[in-house]
Parts: sequence; structure tokens; C-alpha cells
Amino acid sequence: MYPHTKMALYPGCLVLQRMPAYERASRAVLQAIDIGLEIVQQPVCCGAPVAESFSTDWIYLAAYNLARVEQTGHDTVVTLCGSCTNALVRAGRALQADDVRAEANRRLARWGLSITGPVAVKHLVRLLVEREDDLRARIVRPLSFRVALTNPCQIFRPGDLMGVAGEDPMAPRAMRRLVELTGAEVLEYGGEDECCGATLYLAAPKLSLALGRRKLEATHGEKADLMLQGCGNSQLLLRRFQRAIVRDDPALRQKALLLPQLIGLAMGLPAGELGLREAHAP
Amino acid sequence: MKHPAACIQCGLCVEACPVEKVGGHAIVTFLTNPAADDYSVWLCSSCWRCHEVCPVNVDIYGLMMAQRRREDPPAGYRDAYERLLRTGWALAIDQEMLDQMRADEGLEALELPPADLVEALLDDEA
Repeated sequence: MYPHTKMALYPGCLVLQRMPAYERASRAVLQAIDIGLEIVQQPVCCGAPVAESFSTDWIYLAAYNLARVEQTGHDTVVTLCGSCTNALVRAGRALQADDVRAEANRRLARWGLSITGPVAVKHLVRLLVEREDDLRARIVRPLSFRVALTNPCQIFRPGDLMGVAGEDPMAPRAMRRLVELTGAEVLEYGGEDECCGATLYLAAPKLSLALGRRKLEATHGEKADLMLQGCGNSQLLLRRFQRAIVRDDPALRQKALLLPQLIGLAMGLPAGELGLREAHAP
Repeated sequence: MKHPAACIQCGLCVEACPVEKVGGHAIVTFLTNPAADDYSVWLCSSCWRCHEVCPVNVDIYGLMMAQRRREDPPAGYRDAYERLLRTGWALAIDQEMLDQMRADEGLEALELPPADLVEALLDDEA
């Protein structure tokens, strides 16, 4: 068996507000390779892009969350969305400067919190791809779907901060490798590295849905069995907001799953444990 | 907004930008054409593609955020920020609803932060 590992989990707003299934499926898949997650209590917004658009002090929101991670005693925090991954990594880097960290700690003191060392912020895709061999050993029901994936932009770029050696930040292959180990086929549709448009929704809903529509047009019908996301933002746009996109064109309708749901199915985990209702499982 | 001196107006950022693909004009329109007046720094999907392809390493994301702090925000951003200051989250998240949803999925309970936490955290006078 694998060495038992425990990590912290920062859930992010989308998971808390409407995607408990994403957390559940992530936990189920990680549990299968003996990684347990302890959720960070009393978390606040990661800071990006909303707070960052108003104040340079957004960094203290991230600092607070990182301090809560340190409080759990785990040295790694797992994230599920691109935005919070990116924000926590950027803030963590800024907090390595002594003066910035001192100011953060001054503010955090009233809650008895502080930050000391760097915390490793690891998005689910990064964590899973590091454990590729463990995952492969757990695949008992290889899948035969054709999958149209969307890479989570913000876990790969900017490359000098978010990237890993040997990876092209404009065309990363980590998520593709994870899909391929389930046996599923990855559809080349030209939109794998194209943004889903979700974070644009706050400022321009129509343009945001237009970006989602491009993905549906490229993948609907016979082209793919399902679209796959590894980020709450893209799941929000491509699944929850899909209704608004296909209203005038129902033929564009497409299933939208999250990466750990697909991997979990290939592991033979019951649909219910992956936050999938039987009727929605592909 | 001051056009960054390093920018050579090559247009690679416009080609990389998803907003431009669907007819919107983002900060990259300004970078390529400093005389443009039909762009908005709020039109961004945080994909960092422009940032990545810039051959002279202009901090496009930083420039965009700095300009946002000088402008009136669109209603969606303003509402989200006000909610964030009030509750700790930019999206509406309610403890009772959260408890129910997490219990339904068999997830461990999660306590939301005290409502005044974010305002206190961002108040540097305290």
C-alpha cells in the first residue's frame, strides 16, 4: 500500500457555494491512493480577481488562508480551482519578502495566526499527475469515452511561476496524461488551451457565454462523449451556464464532467461517491 | 493609462487573447494601439496567455490590475467586492445552506469566517 499522506484543502468559493460534488470526487480519488484531505476552517476568498481589482491589500486575504493552512500542521494545501491556485502561489511568493510577511503577520496577530515558512500550493491536476503510477495501479474499469478537455489556465500560467520544468505553459500535457490513463481518448479540437471564459462573466456575461459556446460548437454531437474540466470556473461556465448557451440551439448540449469524476469512474468507484447522480454518469 | 515603454506593439498578445476572439477589446488592444479608446481593462478572463507570449515581458496582468484600481468598476465587480468585504466571500455563501449541502454529500462540516473578518484584515490602521 502507499504511504499515508495528509494534506490541507482550500475549497474556494465555487466549491463552497455550489460544487460539493467536486470536493467529494476529489476526496474519493485521493483516498484511493491514500491521500487524506483536511479542510481549512474559516477560509476567506482567495483574493483574485475581485479583491485584487480594488486593492493591493488583496494579498492579506491569501496570507490569512495560508496561515490557516499552517495551522493545520500540513505542509501542502490542495486547491481545486485555477483562480485560487494562482492567487495563493502569487501571494506566497510575495510573502517571502521579509517586510511583506511582517506586515501580514501584524494583521494576522489578532486572530492568533501567523505565517512562517512557504506552504506548497498544489492544484489537484498537479498532485494527481505526480501520483500517476499510483493512479494507474487503481484503474480497474478502463473507459472508452472520447473526451474534450479544457486545461485550467491559471495553474499553468504564468509559466515562470506556475510551470514545471519541460512543460509548455501554452500547451501543458498534465491533464491529458491523466485522461489517457483512464483509457479515454482525448479529442483534439483546438480548444484544449482556450480559456473557458468564466471569470469574464463578472464584467461581460455575453462575451463569457460566447467563449463557452465556442467549446460547445467544437465538441457537441458525435465529436465527443463529454467535456472535461479541472477547475470550478470552467465547470461553472460549461455545465451550470450551459443552459443559457444552448437555449437557442439545443443540439449543442454536451455533458460536462470534472476530472476526478472521470478518474473515479475508471477506478470503479460508485457514481454516488463521485457526486454524480446515476442518471448523469456517462 | 501610460503605454509601457518596453512594449513594441507586436500584437502577439491580441492574437493570444480569448476576449478578442469573441469581439471584445481587452487591455491588449491598447497595448497594440495606444490611441485606441474602445477597450476595457475589466474585460479579462485571467488566462494569462497575453502575459505568457509577450516577447519583452511586459507585466500585462499587473498593469491591468493597477489601472482597474483607478477606474469605476462594472456592477458585477462592485457587488462582488462589497459582498466580499461584508461576508468574506465574493459569492453569496450561507452557513445554513453550506451545512445542508455538505451533509448531503457526506463532507466534513466547514465553519465560515466571522462576518467582519475581511474588513478588519484589510484595515491597515487597526
